[in-house]
Amino acid sequence: MNEETRTKDIIGLLARLLAGGIFIYAGFLKAVAPAEEFAYAIETYKVVPAGPAMFAALTVPWIELYLGVFLAAGVFTDLAALAAGAMLLGFEGLLLQAMIRKLPVTSCGCFGASMHNSLGYEFFQNLLFLAAAALAWKYGGRFSIDSTLEQHG
Amino acid sequence: MQFDLIFTMKIRERNCSARSLAEVISGRDIKCCIIKRMFNRTLARKFFAAGLLVFAVTLAVLLCRQFSLAPARPSPEFRAFGPKNATIQIYEYTDFSCPACKAAETHVMKILEVYRGSVRVNFKHYPLPTIHPWSFQAAAYADCAGAQGRFMEYAALLFENQEQWAFAKSKPAQFASFAAELKLDLPALESCAAAPETARRVKLDISEGDLRGVNATPTFFINGKRAVGGTQFLDQAKKFDNLLNKNR
Repeated sequence: MNEETRTKDIIGLLARLLAGGIFIYAGFLKAVAPAEEFAYAIETYKVVPAGPAMFAALTVPWIELYLGVFLAAGVFTDLAALAAGAMLLGFEGLLLQAMIRKLPVTSCGCFGASMHNSLGYEFFQNLLFLAAAALAWKYGGRFSIDSTLEQHG
Repeated sequence: MQFDLIFTMKIRERNCSARSLAEVISGRDIKCCIIKRMFNRTLARKFFAAGLLVFAVTLAVLLCRQFSLAPARPSPEFRAFGPKNATIQIYEYTDFSCPACKAAETHVMKILEVYRGSVRVNFKHYPLPTIHPWSFQAAAYADCAGAQGRFMEYAALLFENQEQWAFAKSKPAQFASFAAELKLDLPALESCAAAPETARRVKLDISEGDLRGVNATPTFFINGKRAVGGTQFLDQAKKFDNLLNKNR
């Protein structure tokens, strides 16, 4: 294995751990908190009414958790990275429309009720996570359960 | 896709005529049966690994909920008493209509007084409207009194006069008379008590209590350890001196 490939593999691993870790953390904080709290945060974006917001509040944290674990462990790495990237893009869309419409969003709901960062801060932070998801998708194949299973397939 | 890439490469290596993964899976090309078997086995293992991870994560989260290992949501400032960084953090789930809560409140107030500076009590609403018809409204009124800076006094009046209003046939007049006694802005209190935002805050406390496995009032979480009722609360309170000495 040449030096460049090895560096890319390590970058891929780190990106997977970062993106996966963030998804696990965000999902866990919301999954152990009352769903109503996250539902309220979703409602403040004024994109969906209360019913669908509650449904999203009940499901999104678990999806984040599972995607995070898949990414960190490297199971279905490509799909998990793509799905994580798609979710992040969706979050970016929500944040952006809230910023444009100047909505009074007090808690973005990204990490449950424990963090209250500005929408702009969350937007740029998500760009970083999006980059990590992209790197995980491109270089995250090695040092994963996927590669182990494929080698011994 | 990673699968497509890997298996397209393997197909090429073996001079297989199948051009896509779909053809391999459909089994149209008999030469690819080895690849198909290998693909199925690897895929099955990946699904198994994914299933294990999903199971482990779900179990871990449910256990965290059950044992209240999740970070606790602090109460709004008007119903949190004591310094934020106090050594002993108490979360109290209470129903204003519940006689056991009334009895326990005396102990809580005493503890706050005796261990002033070392204890913080986060008051949480856990009304049980199925057995106490006005408990939810009482919680809302208390919160609105809190918004005017008199939560503790209003809560004390609700507890003291519990028998008078808790099982009233219609909306208890005491909600307004307590406000008058405390010289609160009554129209503001009424509109606040009827506001959806207030109801939402109370409901959020109830949901949080449900998540933490609260099913009786009063329930306390003292530095994460559960105590149900005044007796268990006092049992734990006996250990406060040791706890404070250890942290000195």
